[in-house]
Amino acid sequence: MKSLHIFTLAIALAGVSGASAAEPTPPTVKVPFVLLPTGHFLVAVKLNDKGPYKLIFDTGAPTMLINSRIGKDSGASKGGGGFFGANQSTLKSMEVGSVRAEKVPVVVMDHPTVDAFSKFFKAEHGSIDGIVGFPFFARYRMTVDYQQKELTFTPNGYLPADVTQAMMLAITSAQNDKGKSKIASASALWGFTADKSASDDAAGVALGEILKGSPAEKAGLKSGDRLMTIDGRWTDSLADTHAAASKIDAGRTVPVTVLRDGKELTLQVSPVKGF
Amino acid sequence: MSRLFALLCAGLISQIPSGALRADETAPLPREVRTRFEIPYRLTDTKHVLVRVRLNGKGPFNFIIDTGAPALIMSEKISEKTGVVNEKGWGKYRLEIEGGLTLPATSGLATDMFQLKGMNAMGLAGVELHGVLGYNILSQFRIEYDFTADKLIFTKLAFSPPKMVGLGEKAKGGQGGLEFAGDAMKMLAPLMGIKPNFETRSRGLIGIEIESSGSTVRVRSVFAGSPADKAGVLVGDVLVSVAGKKISSGDDLTQAIAKIAAGDKIEIRVERGEGKKSLTIETGKGL
Repeated sequence: MKSLHIFTLAIALAGVSGASAAEPTPPTVKVPFVLLPTGHFLVAVKLNDKGPYKLIFDTGAPTMLINSRIGKDSGASKGGGGFFGANQSTLKSMEVGSVRAEKVPVVVMDHPTVDAFSKFFKAEHGSIDGIVGFPFFARYRMTVDYQQKELTFTPNGYLPADVTQAMMLAITSAQNDKGKSKIASASALWGFTADKSASDDAAGVALGEILKGSPAEKAGLKSGDRLMTIDGRWTDSLADTHAAASKIDAGRTVPVTVLRDGKELTLQVSPVKGF
Repeated sequence: MSRLFALLCAGLISQIPSGALRADETAPLPREVRTRFEIPYRLTDTKHVLVRVRLNGKGPFNFIIDTGAPALIMSEKISEKTGVVNEKGWGKYRLEIEGGLTLPATSGLATDMFQLKGMNAMGLAGVELHGVLGYNILSQFRIEYDFTADKLIFTKLAFSPPKMVGLGEKAKGGQGGLEFAGDAMKMLAPLMGIKPNFETRSRGLIGIEIESSGSTVRVRSVFAGSPADKAGVLVGDVLVSVAGKKISSGDDLTQAIAKIAAGDKIEIRVERGEGKKSLTIETGKGL
């Protein structure tokens, strides 16, 4: 399929992205932002030491996106770009306040929504030229505070995977396993059975048998308890319960909440190695 | 194709009916003792930050944390399930976020976002997406994101966020006519042989506690009444293969069991004393 082929090329280009290594005692850097009346916010960003440009900061954006104007201006793209020529490139560097990241993948494209924002706020804020997304902020422990109108960043050593690549994988696997469902799997052995009928749409799952000598029994779980959460995660189906337990390795002790005789109880459970 | 993806993934939402937002959800919460909440999240295959919510007790639904969105926005189908009556798409919801955070009356917009429609049609995120949490929710908290940790930290702020406004009439068609993109993906998906299945099954319960040393994985205990017990697994048995997969490390076992769905009948081969035994186990529902 031709379109897929082109897509694959874009991935090959983007595959070289990496992340700066975390320092031993990483400093926390504060960066102010400008809150727009629409609830969106802007940060000043330098790209390849050019700028600053004003970009929308968007935790819902899995890619960095800049328009063709600043793509050209910063040297991120050699012309091209534009709505019908979206291309993927890598920024040698980008700076948000004094936070500097290197080798950041970026999509160069004149996104109509960004353009609409830019036009709307031009008089007050000048041109708005793109979006800061996951490939940048995932590298940090980040806080967003609308009261202080401030972001903070502390390098955490997280290496963001390239989203284009991840999506391509998702598509190939969607094509390959045609409708096969996933299986959620607990990381350790707890020792209870649970079930939920199709007509039961209340929160939680009902515990069936509590196996003798199991962590569940030792923690005081009882048959008939309604299991509500494992370590703060909802257990609204058996698959959900497995998904919550997939985060808990053997030997860890975590709080589990159950409803028993209409009262909520919190018990501590330490699952063991097993299946 | 890649253009379409980029469009969908920007996650930037300008489209809100103007003048419909009331300031009420920005009022301070009723006296709440807790101000710090640990919110479980996961990153989707598309690298969206996903949290689970209940709306008016219904759910759980999958929502993206999106500073690029102005408000709590959900698909129309989800809104219908909650039974909330909308006015110009807006309604009042009791919003619970997994991790113990409840906002008793928050404004939310029911509209089918083309971004989510498109991603769902292709199954891109690996999970069905039902909506986004935007400014009117997020602004009430200081939120810490750290993808090396398994929870987000929400800290309630003692302040009333400024009421936000829509781009309004001037920016009519604020998405720049992108609304087609969701439907385009919906048409493309079947042509590419994609039929997303968001159903998740649970892994089967067997009831064996193990201990492993080097390449040996040994049965440490068998819980009475468990499927393993019924099949005749004994303490001290060494696992040779599980569901067709040869076991020579704990990791092998992890991989083997991850594929066993509850109710599956599987074969376990064990070494017991001098001999080998093959046992058939009907796995249970549980963990």
